[in-house]
Amino acid sequence: MLTGLFDIPVLGLVLQLLDFLLNVVTVNGPVILSLATPLALGAMCGVISERSGVVNIGIEGMMLASAFSAWLVASVAAQAFPAEPGFFFGVTPALLIGLAAALATGVAFSLVHAWLSISIRADQIISGTIINIVAFGVTAYLDLLLSRTSQPSGGKFLAFAPPQALLDLPVIGWLFRMVLAQGPITMAAIVIAVVFQVLLFRSRWGLRTRAVGEHPKAAETVGIDVIRLRYQNVLAGGLLAGLAGAWFTIDFGTTFQTGMTNGRGFIALAAMIFGRWHPIGAFGAALLFAASGALGTAIRTTPPPGQLGEILTSIPEQVFSALPYLVTIAVLAGVVGRSVAPAADGQPYEREATH
Amino acid sequence: MRSRSIALVGLAVVAIIASACSSAATPVPGLKIGLVTDVGTLNDKNFNQYSWEGAQAGATAIGAQAPQSAVSSVSADIAKNIQSFVDQKYDVIVTVGFAAGSDTIKAAKANKGIKFIGVDQSPCLDAAGVEDPTFGCKGDAAALLPNLVGIQWKEQQPGYLAGIVAASISKSGHIAAIGGTAAVPAVPNYMLGYANGAKSVKSTIKVELQYISAAPDKAAFADPAGGTAFAKQLLAKFTDVDVLFQVAGLTGNGVLQAACDAKIYGIGVDVDQFLSTPDTAKCTVVSAEKKLSKNVSDQIQKVKAGTFKAGTAKLDIGSNDVGLSPFHDSASLITPATQKLIDDAVAAMKAGTLKACDENAFGGCNIPK
Repeated sequence: MLTGLFDIPVLGLVLQLLDFLLNVVTVNGPVILSLATPLALGAMCGVISERSGVVNIGIEGMMLASAFSAWLVASVAAQAFPAEPGFFFGVTPALLIGLAAALATGVAFSLVHAWLSISIRADQIISGTIINIVAFGVTAYLDLLLSRTSQPSGGKFLAFAPPQALLDLPVIGWLFRMVLAQGPITMAAIVIAVVFQVLLFRSRWGLRTRAVGEHPKAAETVGIDVIRLRYQNVLAGGLLAGLAGAWFTIDFGTTFQTGMTNGRGFIALAAMIFGRWHPIGAFGAALLFAASGALGTAIRTTPPPGQLGEILTSIPEQVFSALPYLVTIAVLAGVVGRSVAPAADGQPYEREATH
Repeated sequence: MRSRSIALVGLAVVAIIASACSSAATPVPGLKIGLVTDVGTLNDKNFNQYSWEGAQAGATAIGAQAPQSAVSSVSADIAKNIQSFVDQKYDVIVTVGFAAGSDTIKAAKANKGIKFIGVDQSPCLDAAGVEDPTFGCKGDAAALLPNLVGIQWKEQQPGYLAGIVAASISKSGHIAAIGGTAAVPAVPNYMLGYANGAKSVKSTIKVELQYISAAPDKAAFADPAGGTAFAKQLLAKFTDVDVLFQVAGLTGNGVLQAACDAKIYGIGVDVDQFLSTPDTAKCTVVSAEKKLSKNVSDQIQKVKAGTFKAGTAKLDIGSNDVGLSPFHDSASLITPATQKLIDDAVAAMKAGTLKACDENAFGGCNIPK
């Protein structure tokens, strides 16, 4: 209907581009949201611990270790409790046990991080780096040992199948498909983002968390237990990283591969910064990063016709892969808006002697 | 209780020492064979594992002692591992993977008395016998390095057969192949063969050939979640595609996952993926295979028999060094007519009357512009 406008010089090209972008997003909504899930959960893991003043760059390692344990435990549990996929998300006892294992793994790793960076007051960057290295090495080694026995995995959660009538709705049908045709972890991520946003800015816990992240000494003087709150938040972050890990091996895919998180834990950190340490912002940034990737893929695989296609395909594909990070650098540098970390982020807190 | 633990520990120590001694002290006659893996694990259900099985089979066939393996965790380990076998006076060293090519050439040059077998390698030297990174390959590798054979394959041939299968089982007449990157020649070889094979069955068939990455990076070969997403995106655009051929290593395992999710057919690559990736076995119809185990075993036997031929061994379907895997649970999909098409194509390729693609001087495919 609007195609007549496409022939206008320059403006027509811009309209064609918008049309193409809209098409990519609407057609690939489910994939974009899926790929955004581990980024969003990882970013929220970063938000929850950094808001209370603990830098966590071990998200990548936590995700990888959780992905491994979800896969392994679900696989073993499937032997012990064989079951047909349930009606709701194809859930089986094995998958739930695997999910629990992933969460436990995330918490276990974050406990190490919390202990090192809060109790021992070690350098938090080093602690996170150690977690990344250990998680990669240990999972690769265990995977090597296990791959000698070729046992099938515990399967995966199935995507929800929304009613067709909903998907066929004009204009907004794609949105329902994007949000509803998803596995449980992706849906949970959306709920978590909303709840987390409300809690962080509207609850007592949120106020205390932000106070501890900005000015722990002041928080302590009004009776907030800084150490305890930081522990709580870092461990809660571990749950989120664990959920992100489970997404890899029991929601989106079914098998574990060495290093399969492939840097997404670090991209999550970029999403956290781009989202200005807000849960919803982090989720939005993750969506944008995922959409940018989908756009790059769409341009390479199914470029738009005509002049627009020629222009887009002449741009090296690496530009699209790099786009999210260029934007993040721009945000960090204050070129586009401003993103400021919590004031006490990364600083170990030491109680002053009371006697 | 305590004494029992002490006894157990003592026993364990003795066992370890004994096993260490038995492998070090008793010389066994015959060739000593060592295998250096590509970066990764020995049991990767891929190149490393099947090359290793080939080394073991080859050693058994010639009555040599059991081969030893050295796993490379990072690319810098490859040279170190080769050198450790050289230092221990091994007779045959198998190195696995394209990435080990440089180190293998260097080692072969420095140790003319040792036979080197480079899996997925093609020694390319300049006239002076130095490795030629520009791929001019002016020097005669076979003469300059008479102790090194690189194994390569005509991937287009099993790709062609996979294309015949795909076109035969497709109901929509629209199929696809997803490759890691066009920058690794093996990938487009497979895919161009696939397209040609499919078109030989049905000239009107639509074949999507898509590459995930511009470079041989992690996204191309080591990111299953990315592979699933890429395939889902392609399937969202081309909703009628009903056969998906993966040529993207571990990333491609994610492509097979997407095929399973979409309840369409998948085709595996390099090894029999029905066996190697059991999670996607139910939708893996067949795999376009390199018979790695046989290939490595054959070369080891040639060393023993004195028929070792240096240079690049471009393995093809002539001696069944490449081909299709068994159909396993999907055998019912393959009609006698399809089987005849496959058999005829194999016979024609063996006779040299059928080229799976427009072949270049190196036996690979010319990529159409």
